[in-house]
Amino acid sequence: MPKEKESIEVEGTIKEALPNASFKVELANGHEVLAYISGKLRVNYIRVLPGDRVLVDLSPYDLTRGRITYRFR
Amino acid sequence: MGTNVDKANGITIKSGRELDLMREVGKVVAEAKSVVRNAIKPGVTSKEMDIVAEETIRSMGAIPSFKGYKPSPSRPFPATICFSFNEEIVHGIPGDRVVAEGDIVSVDFGAILNGFHGDSAFTVGIGTVSQKAQLLMDSTRISLNEGIGKAVPGGRLSDISHAVQGSAESRGFSVVREYVGHGIGRSLHEEPQVPNYTDMGPGYGTVLKAGMVLAIEPMLNIGTWRTKLLRDGWTVVTADGELSAHFEHTVAITNDGPEILT
Repeated sequence: MPKEKESIEVEGTIKEALPNASFKVELANGHEVLAYISGKLRVNYIRVLPGDRVLVDLSPYDLTRGRITYRFR
Repeated sequence: MGTNVDKANGITIKSGRELDLMREVGKVVAEAKSVVRNAIKPGVTSKEMDIVAEETIRSMGAIPSFKGYKPSPSRPFPATICFSFNEEIVHGIPGDRVVAEGDIVSVDFGAILNGFHGDSAFTVGIGTVSQKAQLLMDSTRISLNEGIGKAVPGGRLSDISHAVQGSAESRGFSVVREYVGHGIGRSLHEEPQVPNYTDMGPGYGTVLKAGMVLAIEPMLNIGTWRTKLLRDGWTVVTADGELSAHFEHTVAITNDGPEILT
């Protein structure tokens, strides 16, 4: 029976803004990943700044890259 | 003695004794599979096939593993087998629908014996089916074999995904992405997820080791890879209503290469 695909979601804090709308994010477990802004956030002009808490969707293959899917207020 | 779990990724590594137990349950699944495959013909209902599967599994002292299976928070699966007609990809619930000439039907089920799970699936054409349908089924089986060929110690998880996807797409079919294969052992669904596609090519993901056991299960569609979930909360169909096929084996990674248990 196939399993419904789950993405790996973790919380993190933005450390540094990089070119190309990508960011260095420090995860709750202390790891640092390279993440870009999801299309949904971009379309809605949600700004993400260093220090913001965000939700990152990690790639199942490469746990050092991810996608920022939510910015906490 | 508990199962050895790789702390980095949560994947269980089976000992020689545990692999023997998985071979045993694998045999039960393989046997039940051939009984059900031989019983499917025009005029039978999917519910009847469910009964055949359940009786066969129980006659060998094993227990159907899908019945009552509940990946939270959805409802428990009500039957021994998933029986999916034509455009239904997976998780079809057996009922009164009658198998007709020209249909392609997918049967997926698992069993538990001595605390270990086996899981396997196949798609079969009823009577004469369209050329396209036949090609779809053949390609799905081939893509499964290509994937299994990459289940070797020292390989990477995405090698399997890449092989399956490449094989499927080179024949003009798409692979379902929202449902994935999985590790298997004392639980039906264990780490890791085994996707049938990859956006990163081969050489990524977990390093495969001897003692890991994976359920590799490509689902191929004639049209789009996108899926829809029916209101029964289980049945997954293709978004465009085109045909879909599904083959699956439980595969142990050993130092001698991949070993198909089912």
